[in-house]
Formats: sequence, C-alpha cells, structure tokens
Amino acid sequence: MATAVSEAVPVRTRTRVPLPPKLRAPGWYRAALFEVLGLGFAFGITALIRWLQHIHPIVSGSAVTTVALIVVPLFFIVGIGCCDYWVYWAIGRPTRPEDHSTHGARTWRDYFRVNTDHKVIGIQYTVTSFFFLFVGGLLAMLIRVQLAKPGMQFLTPEQYNGVFSVHATVLIFLFVIPVFAGLANFVLPLMIGAPDMAFPRLNALSYWLLPMGGVLMLMSFLAPGGSFASGWTAYAPLSTTMPLGQMFFTVGVQFAGFSSIFTALNFLVTIITMRAPGMSFFRMPLLVWANFSTSLLVVIATPFIASSQFFVLLDRALGFHFFDAFVGAGKNGNVLMYQHVFWFYSHPAVYIMMLPGFGIISEIIATKSRKPIFGYRMMAFSLLAIVILGFTVWAHHMFVSGMSPWIRIPMMITTAIIAIPTGIKIFSWLATLWRGVLHLDTPMLFALGFLTMFTLGGISGVMLAMIPFDIHVSQTYFIVAHIHYVLFGGSLFTIFAGVYYWFPKMTGRMFDDRLGKLHFWLTFIFFNLTFGPMHLIGIQGMPRRVAEYAEKFAAWNLFISFSAFILGLSTLVFLYNMVVSWRRGPRAAANPWRGMTLEWQVSSPPPVFNFDHVPTVVGGPYEYGVPGAVHGIFKKPEAPPVAAGSSSGVATQERQE
Amino acid sequence: MEAASVAHDQHGPPEAHRSSRVHAPTLGMLLFIISEVMIFGAFFTAYFFIRVVTHDPWPAHGTKLPVAVAGVNTAILVSSSLTIHWALHSIRKGNRFGLKAGMVATFLLGLTFLTIQINEYIHIGFAPQDSAQGTIFYSLTGLHGAHVFIGLCALAIVSIRSFRGHYSPEHHEGMEVPGIYWHFVDAMWIVVYTTVYIL
Amino acid sequence: MLQIVVAVVIGSAILIPLTLIVPWFPAKASAQAGRIHTLYDVLLIATVPIFVLVLTVVGYSMWKFRLKPNDTRVDGPPIHGNTRLEVVWTALPAVLIIGLVTYAYTVLRSNEASKPTAMTVNVTERQFAFEFSYPEAGNKVSPTLYLPLGRPVVFKLRSLDVIHSFFVPEFSEKLDAVPGITTTLRVTPTRLGRYPAECTELCGAGHGLMRAPVYVVEPSVFQRWLAALKANAPPPIGTPAPKAVQPGVPGSGKSVASAAAGSSSAGSSSSTSTSAGGAAAAGKAVFTGASGCSGCHTLADAGASGTVGPNLDVRLRTDCSMPASKRIRGATLTRCIHTAIVNPYAYIPNGYTKGVMPSTFGKTLTPSQTQSLVSYLASVAK
Ligand code: HEA
Ligand code: HEA
Ligand code: CUA
Ligand SMILES: [Cu+2]
Repeated sequence: MATAVSEAVPVRTRTRVPLPPKLRAPGWYRAALFEVLGLGFAFGITALIRWLQHIHPIVSGSAVTTVALIVVPLFFIVGIGCCDYWVYWAIGRPTRPEDHSTHGARTWRDYFRVNTDHKVIGIQYTVTSFFFLFVGGLLAMLIRVQLAKPGMQFLTPEQYNGVFSVHATVLIFLFVIPVFAGLANFVLPLMIGAPDMAFPRLNALSYWLLPMGGVLMLMSFLAPGGSFASGWTAYAPLSTTMPLGQMFFTVGVQFAGFSSIFTALNFLVTIITMRAPGMSFFRMPLLVWANFSTSLLVVIATPFIASSQFFVLLDRALGFHFFDAFVGAGKNGNVLMYQHVFWFYSHPAVYIMMLPGFGIISEIIATKSRKPIFGYRMMAFSLLAIVILGFTVWAHHMFVSGMSPWIRIPMMITTAIIAIPTGIKIFSWLATLWRGVLHLDTPMLFALGFLTMFTLGGISGVMLAMIPFDIHVSQTYFIVAHIHYVLFGGSLFTIFAGVYYWFPKMTGRMFDDRLGKLHFWLTFIFFNLTFGPMHLIGIQGMPRRVAEYAEKFAAWNLFISFSAFILGLSTLVFLYNMVVSWRRGPRAAANPWRGMTLEWQVSSPPPVFNFDHVPTVVGGPYEYGVPGAVHGIFKKPEAPPVAAGSSSGVATQERQE
Repeated sequence: MEAASVAHDQHGPPEAHRSSRVHAPTLGMLLFIISEVMIFGAFFTAYFFIRVVTHDPWPAHGTKLPVAVAGVNTAILVSSSLTIHWALHSIRKGNRFGLKAGMVATFLLGLTFLTIQINEYIHIGFAPQDSAQGTIFYSLTGLHGAHVFIGLCALAIVSIRSFRGHYSPEHHEGMEVPGIYWHFVDAMWIVVYTTVYIL
Repeated sequence: MLQIVVAVVIGSAILIPLTLIVPWFPAKASAQAGRIHTLYDVLLIATVPIFVLVLTVVGYSMWKFRLKPNDTRVDGPPIHGNTRLEVVWTALPAVLIIGLVTYAYTVLRSNEASKPTAMTVNVTERQFAFEFSYPEAGNKVSPTLYLPLGRPVVFKLRSLDVIHSFFVPEFSEKLDAVPGITTTLRVTPTRLGRYPAECTELCGAGHGLMRAPVYVVEPSVFQRWLAALKANAPPPIGTPAPKAVQPGVPGSGKSVASAAAGSSSAGSSSSTSTSAGGAAAAGKAVFTGASGCSGCHTLADAGASGTVGPNLDVRLRTDCSMPASKRIRGATLTRCIHTAIVNPYAYIPNGYTKGVMPSTFGKTLTPSQTQSLVSYLASVAK
C-alpha cells in the first residue's frame, strides 16, 4: 500500500535472531519450518484446552487434526512470505523500501515464490486451477468406471460418494471460480490501463490461500473413514455426522472462499479507482463489467457459505445444536436452515461461475467477427440485472426440501425471469455475429460452441424452474445433465476460449490452431454424447449420487462412460498443445487478433510494469469497422504504433485459418 | 499526479491514474465490511430460524440473559467509538498526544468489553451444547467477540505505530481505516445486543 | 433474415415432433404424473424453437459470414445496436415466461389439491430403510407399501436420522423427509403394478440401496391386506401378483414371488414363534416393525425380502460360525447376533461394506427389545 510506504520512518538497524538465512528469508524452506511449528502449535493448543477442560483423553487424533487443518495452512502462508511486509508495517518497523524485487518473473522459479505482479499471479492462478481440472476430471473418470455397468464392485458405496463429492468440490471451488479470477487477474489491469491491481500483496495472499484449500480437499482421501462423502452441497445433518474427512471440506472451503473474497475486493477497488484517464464505465470492455458484477456477487454471497461451514464445524467439533433437530433435551436445531444459508451463496455462485465467462465471450465474439458488440449498454445492464436477480432465487434448489410450500412460487417466478437478461445477452451475441467477418479459429469455435450449449443448459434450467416438473426430475440425472451443460458447456467452454484467446498475450507464443480445432471438435461431440443422454435417463428416473442403479439404465450408462473417456482424452490434446506451444511455439505478435482493447496494445508478454505511461482512452472498446476509430492512445511513441489499436490497420499481422 | 508519472522511469511502475476520488484502502475496507455484515447476516439467519421459524422460547426455558450487565458493556463499547474518533480528530489537527491517548483509551475500553463478555460466559449458567438457543447465543456473541478481538489487534498495531511516531496530519489513513472497522464492530454490537438480549 | 425465419420454422417443425415421441417418462401411474407429462410436452414445444433459433443463426453465420480466402472485407459493418430488435427479444421471452409460469402454477395447484376422501400413510425413514404405517390399521407398520387403486393418498414423511427422500418415478412425485418436521406429499395412484420407492436424498453409504417395493392393488385386495396387517397376521395367501409388473424394475418378478413365499412361510411360522415363546414373538414384531430390519434383510419367517443387508436365512448361522466372527462377536449364536445388532462393524461378513447398516441400534432399541430380537433371530436362524 503506497500510503504505508510514505508513512515509513527512516530505516533503523534491528538485531536479528541467529537463523540460517535460508530459514529466515521468505520461501519454501521457511514455509516447511513454519508448517512443523504449526503442527506443534495445533498439538499443544488442543492438548492444553482439553487438559483445562478435563476432557479425556487429553490427546485426541481427530481434535488435533481439526485444529491443524486450520492452523497449519496459515503458518505455511506466513512462512512462504505472504505477510512479511505487513508484519514489519504493523509493528512500525521500517518497511523495506520498494525495490520491486517481488515483482515480475525472470525465471520459472519466480512462479513458485510469492509475487506481487498481477501477470505472474494470473498465470499462477490459471496453471494451478488447470491442475485441479485434471484432478477433478480423473475423479470423473473413476465415477464413469463405477457407473459403466450396474453391480460394479469397482468402488465401495462410500468411496463412490467420496469421489463425486471431491470431483464436484474441486471443479467448482478450485477450478472454475479461481481460473476466472486468474484470467481476469492477468488481463483486467491491462484492459483498464492500470499498472497493477490496487492491493498487490493482498492479491498474492489470495492466490496462496487457494492451493491451501485444494491440498486439504485432496488430502481428505487420506483421512480415516475416507474423504468427505456428502456431496459438494454437504447437507446437514449428514455432514455433521460424517467421519473426519468432512472437516477437510468444511475447512478447505473456507480457504477457497476467503481467497475469492479478497480477489473480489481487489477487482472492485481496482476497477473503481485505477481506470485510465478517459475510461468511463461505459467505455470499459465487457470483461471488466463482467468481473465487476461477479465481484459484487462474491463479496455479498461468499460469507454465507463460510458461515454455513462454520455451523457444520461447530456442530461436529464442539457439539453445538444448529442442525440436530430431534425431540428431546436441547435437540431443537433447524435442519432446513443449512440449505437456505448454503444456497443463498451457492446459487449466486453459479453466476460467479458464469458471468466472467460471459465477459470472455463478449471480447472474443466482438474481435473475431470484427464488429462492435451489439447493444453494449444492454449487455452491461443485463449483467447487473442477473446479479440482483441472482440473490432472489436460491430456494429453487429446495422445491422438494420440505420447506413451507408457498416459498416455491415466488422463487419459481424470479428464477424463470432470469432467462430474460440472459436471453438478451445470447441474442445480442447472435446479432454481433450477423454480417460480421468471422475468423473461425479455436477461440471463436469455443465461443460459438458455448452459445449453443449454454442455451441448451439454460433452457433445461428454465424447465427445472417449473416446480411440478422439478419435483419429478429433482435429484435425478436430469440435474446432472443440467449441471454439466451449464458448467462444462457453459463455463468450461468459455474458459477454453479465453485461454486460447489470451495465450499469445500471456506466453508470448502462438498455440497450434490445428490441434486447437481438433480439441474443440472432439470436446464438442463427446461432451454432447456424454451428457445429452443424462437428460433421458434422468427423466426416466435414475437417481443421482448412487453407485448402483437399475438394469434398465445399463445400456445408456455404458454408452455415457465410453463417451466420457474419449471426452477425457480430448483434454489431453489441449494439455499437449498448451505445454508444447508454450515451450517452443512461434513467437506471437503484440496484437495477433487485431483487438482494440488496451491489453493488445502492449508487447506479448507485456512489460513488467504494463505501460511506460498510462494510456488515455478516447473511444469505445469495440469500434471495429468504424474508420480510424481508436480505443486508447499512448503518450510516448515508443509504445506500439497507435495504428495497431485502430481497426483500419489492415496491414498489421493478418492471421489466416 | 501527472507530473509524477512523467518523472517516472523504467525502474518502477507508472503512477496509476486515480479514476475516483475515494482512497483505495478506505474503499477496500468498506467493501470488506459488506462481507462482514453478510457473515453476521448468515448468523442472524440461524437466529431467525430458531426463534421465529421453529418458535422456540427465547431464551431457553430456565435460562435468562444478563441484560443489565450487557447494557453497561454496550455503553463501554460505544464510548470507545467516541475515543477513537477523538484520536482521529487530534491527529488531523497534529495533536500527537491526543492521538496516543485516544488510541490507548480505545484499546483499554475494548479490552474491558471483551473481559466482561468472557466473564459473562463463565457465569451465564448454560452452555452452547445445552440447547439450540444456547448455540445461537454463544455463536452470535462469540462471532462478535472474535471481531472485537481482531479489532483490538488492529488497535494495538495503530497504538504501537503512533507511539513510534507514525502518522501525520496529512497521512493518517493507517489509523483511519482500522478506525472504520472499529466503528463497524461497535455498530454491529448494538444490533446483536438488541436482537439477542432486549427483543 | 427471411431464410433464418424459414429455417427455424422448418427446424422446429421437425425437431418438436421428434422430441415429443421420445419415451421420456416411466409408466404413468398417478393422476399427478399425467399432468406433469403434459407440462413437459408444453415446455418442449415452447423451448425447442428457441434452441433451434440459436443453432440456426450460429450455423448460418459460420457458413455465410466466415472469412473466406482472398476476402476483401476487413471488418464488418459498425452496427452498434437496434432498439426495436432489443425490445422484441426482451418482450417475447418475457411473454413466454409468463405463460409457462402461469401454466406450471395451475398444474401445481391441481397436483397438490387436498382431497376429502384421502387416506393417510405415515412414511418413516432411517438409514437405510423405509417403514410404512397405516392409521387405518392402528398404525401397524409394514416394510412394503400397499396402495389401493384410485384412492388419493396423503403421505406424512418423517426421518429418524438424516435427511431422506421419498420418490416413486412412476408417480412423478417426490419429497424430502426432514428430521424434526413432518412433510406432506399427495399422490393418487391410477395404475396397478409394482413400483420402486427410492430415497433420492444423499443419506450416507447405503443411500443407493435405500429402496422399498410399492404395490398398487385393487381396493378390495388392499382392504384384505390392511385388515391382515391390522390383525398383525401375515398377509392373506393369494395376494394376486399385481398385474402389469413394471419391466426392468430391479427384480420385480422375483420379489413378488419371494413376498408370496414369505407370507406363506410366515403363515406356518406364526405357530413356531408362539411355541418359541412370547419373547420371540415380540422379537418378530421388532424385526418387522420398529427397527425396520426387514427393510434391508431377507428373512422368510418374517416375510421380509430386503436385499440391502445379508440374507439372514442363509447367512446368519454360517457367518456366525466363521472363526474370525467367533473371536470378535462371541462364540455362541446369541452373543454373535447381539454384537451384530448393537455393534455391526465389529465384524463385517465378506461381500458387505462398513457404513450401510445403522450402528445406532444399541441406542435406539431398548435392552428388552434387543433381547427379544436376539432370541427371535436365534430361534429362526437356519
Ligand atoms: C454455471 C452454472 C449454472 C448456471 C449458469 C445455471 C443457470 C440456471 N439454472 Fe442451474 N444449476 C447449476 C448450475 C448452473 N445453473 C448447478 C451446479 C445445479 C445443481 C446443484 C446441485 O444440486 O448439485 C443447478 C441446479 C438448478 C436447479 C435445481 C434443480 C434441483 O436440484 O431440483 C434449478 C431450478 O430451478 C436451476 C435453474 C437454473 C436456471 C433457471 C438458470 C438460468 O440462469 C438459465 C438462463 C439461461 C437461458 C434460459 C438460456 C438463454 C436464454 C434464452 C435463449 C432466452 C429465451 C429462453 C427462454 C424464454 C426459456 N438450476
Ligand atoms: C465445472 C464443473 C464440472 C466439470 C468440468 C465436470 C466434468 C465431468 N463430470 Fe461432473 N459434476 C459436477 C461438476 C463438473 N463435472 C458437479 C457440480 C457435480 C454434482 C456432484 C454432486 O452431486 O455433489 C458433478 C457430478 C457428476 C456426475 C454425477 C455423479 C452422481 O451424482 O452420482 C457424473 C457422472 O457421470 C459426472 C461426470 C463428469 C464427467 C464425465 C466430466 C468430464 O467432463 C470430465 C472430463 C475432463 C477430464 C477427464 C480431464 C482430465 C483428463 C485426464 C486427466 C486425462 C486422462 C483421461 C482418461 C484416463 C480417460 N459429474
Ligand atoms: Cu435415504 Cu438416501
Ligand atoms: Cu440455482
């Protein structure tokens, strides 16, 4: 924080504890040391408390673990060096003068250190979350093996429950949500002409909190009694009576949650206070608008899932009575309360997982069809409309939950209404395509795939909003189909599109468009073959979350499993393409897509401090086809020629398919 | 601002354009407070469900809440809001003594509040495990207590730094922002007190 | 423009019938199901055109507007928007939505309308079994659900541990059973047959196995069955194997047979149990009733045909005679059975997994109940 620096008093020398520098300096060594300390601390504190409370035995494995789950990651965070600056600042010690040593990456090693450069953090975020995509995907493969035929003994029932629970949790909390934060981390400051995020150190902290959550989730498989197995929804009182593994979810979600809250704060402040001169709100690229709306959702909604998990933690670890509702002394908790609190976050969460994707699609469709976004303002307003409506529909997940029936009616109405702003966006994108000049390369293909697949998923969503129909299909594979059409066909398609689209900017190299197209077609086809049939078997009555099912679904499930395996393999094409292109793909030009938004006006990859001089914005972000139109201009000529930003720059690198 | 950015060379980032008059850390704190309010919101939802939806008696049969003591405690916490405001006022006018005194006073008041709260726990006569009402009572007051604790840490930091000679009439955001947080903690207690003890 | 409209009309004209002839739903076995099936058809008719529209526009643009080799156009025309168009595509979906929501509401109303002639059935759920009791039969409980054809039924759902759910696909109705409250579900069976009742709310390791058979039978047959249940006697011999057995419902034919077998053998065994003494009789009551054992275990003497847990007719004695079992659960048969009830995971018979059988019977059953249950099982164990 700049202010902190200006407040710093002249450097005083301080006596140092005699420790080998490796252990004193922030980094992995110190992190390891701190983890050991953390373990010791957790052990000590639990033993102490139990001793004071006369609880026997004084040393209880599960108690220590529960505490350690919370303490050890925090110690790691301090050890790796997320908080050094704040500690110095807090105790009024001289804060290190801003040599930008922790800024920017010179070697690959810098990606494994605490770094305050939003571009480095963006890449850290993206790579980490893609790692979790593959983990979650592999778990999905296990699911499909188990379901390949009825009577399969591949996994025991509780193992199966654990597998799909971790599958969903990892893919939601550690892939979709953070990967959007990662992409936005990289491009958003560039897009609004800011040298970095508003709070670079907080940004670093948000990133490092994420792997903590992820590691916990995966470690739950090692827990006695297996991983958490109550679904990603972790309904109480099942979750409060689960084996220890459940705590890994309860605590892990907290880390992921606070990570996204901090990022959201950062985005909001950055967007509000650090836009380049001339960048009025209605000159912002729609990606910025999308992340602005998403961050609002995160800041308001995420505390609710944090709380819901606090409740579970207290009920399970300390024997509180939030949720155990049995006649008899004190057992007068309220079970449905969990679902209300949980869904008040988790419905908005589904838009947290979609709105940034909408932003990405707007960028790509405008650039790739060489036309201004159709109805820019409506695009922005519909985002805000979705944000507001998103908070009024949570109970559509509870139509069969036994809550008082009247609540379902207003929820059905609001839920159905959300189709309207979303429709506005879909139709506007279609109108943007109309009479454009479509460059059908990989990012564009994924964008178009998204348009069709998300519409399908959305429509099944609107069907689900119709209470009587939902009563029939709720908790069946129809829901699973909906989930994947919106999350895979929706979110994941936009993520693929975005990664391909900004790959040149992030890495400075071009990807192999041939492989990209192969990846798209494989994914598109086998995605539909995998999840399409689930609509049918769902309506026919195959329940979700079961390791065993009736004979009559056998044929379809076998078919689905096969398609799923090929779908899985198709992601290996993507992996190969990314890795190889990153290492030795052809160098990318500064502006391969002839985009007008600011991130394309700087070199690829961008200079450490983004701009020598903050550009001045003089026009809208999507003025394609408007002769001589320019979005941003740079004061000094050493910045790339203005022409690059203008749509009439014909000569500039024309890429052909 | 512009002058600064021109003066900049490659060794540092260009001065960011200030597209809004609000001060970034202050805005950040305000947004964070929104999140905090929502956390309390969730806990109040639990309260609502126990007390309104399932119509449980409040407080549980055979238990009663020390309304008076808590009332005194409320007064203490509210007064701490005034002292920290005084501290801010003083540093604005460059009165360092006022700053230090105000901060210390605030810190001590907060500490008193917390001790009284803990003492209340010890003597209140029911445990969170006894009933859902107990659970809700301890959770709400405990959640707030945790916030008081965080606030106290912030106050301690600010006090230390003010004694170490930080802050000036021009630059005192470092104490202003924690101040906002402290005001929020106080305001939130008033809500908790009315809903849990009085109503 | 025109081509699009034509294409969408044609596309919908083809796709809508296709989607309508797909056999989406299982057999229509309740009045509610009928209305829901129609609602779904309406939803298809209303939304398929939307999907076709999006598909056509995307496809058409990919074909017509794609950048062709030696294309002179650099950029598209700078069209920023068109207010009339935007109003249209805001208004039309709005109208559609209003229509659909209103219709769905009417369906909901008629599906949940309370009928004066309705019969109440209490459904009590626990990990991992259903238990049905009929006020009209003095709340006598049964592990299987019998319903009279054509009579409205009000299910009162309760749960004894975690959240469960009650779903009969052929009835198209489902509702959660929530600890602490009683939830209400209305169904009017309209088709004879045997259907599965499933728990569709994740409730633990045994969730996928939490099933119970549902029979919709002629009212006369039902009355006889109910009377028998009330008299706590075995169901009358000759309960007709219900007509129109659902093809493919897990083990439909089989367990109809086994139910009959169960009833007949139960008929003979009522004498044995009396001779075995009151304790055993009480134990049988516990087995078929309060504890819900019969929901998961097969035991001919009690007319139980559950397939979740070990088949007690064949496994009980053999498993208890395993050396490991003798060591862990005690040498004598009664010790073994007792341990198996109060502490089921002490020794797990091979082929079965931990976490399925509730480990709470030690608490939920009174010592006397447990005792009588043990002596009953010991007396009938083959
Ligand atoms: C990215 C995530 C995402 C998104 C965007 C959505 C979007 C929507 N979802 Fe979905 N949903 C999930 C993720 C998502 N969902 C998940 C994960 C679950 C399961 C949770 C669990 O139980 O595990 C779920 C479950 C779920 C349920 C509960 C089902 C049940 O458990 O019983 C319902 C019910 O109303 C629902 C509805 C909707 C609706 C109406 C939308 C709308 O926002 C869709 C709007 C979009 C369109 C409608 C398409 C484009 C619009 C047009 C082309 C205009 C014209 C269209 C019409 C007029 C129809 N969803
Ligand atoms: C973004 C979210 C997301 C994504 C991307 C996916 C991706 C997939 N999901 Fe998942 N899924 C959910 C979110 C997601 N899912 C959620 C929220 C639930 C609900 C859980 C609950 O009920 O609580 C769910 C539940 C769910 C179920 C229902 C489980 C049940 O209810 O019993 C199934 C069943 O088929 C399934 C399958 C798949 C498959 C086959 C993929 C595939 O698309 C995965 C393909 C990707 C890969 C495979 C990448 C990894 C590939 C490799 C590592 C190469 C190696 C490949 C091979 C060895 C073949 N998912
Ligand atoms: Cu009971 Cu699932
Ligand atoms: Cu939802």
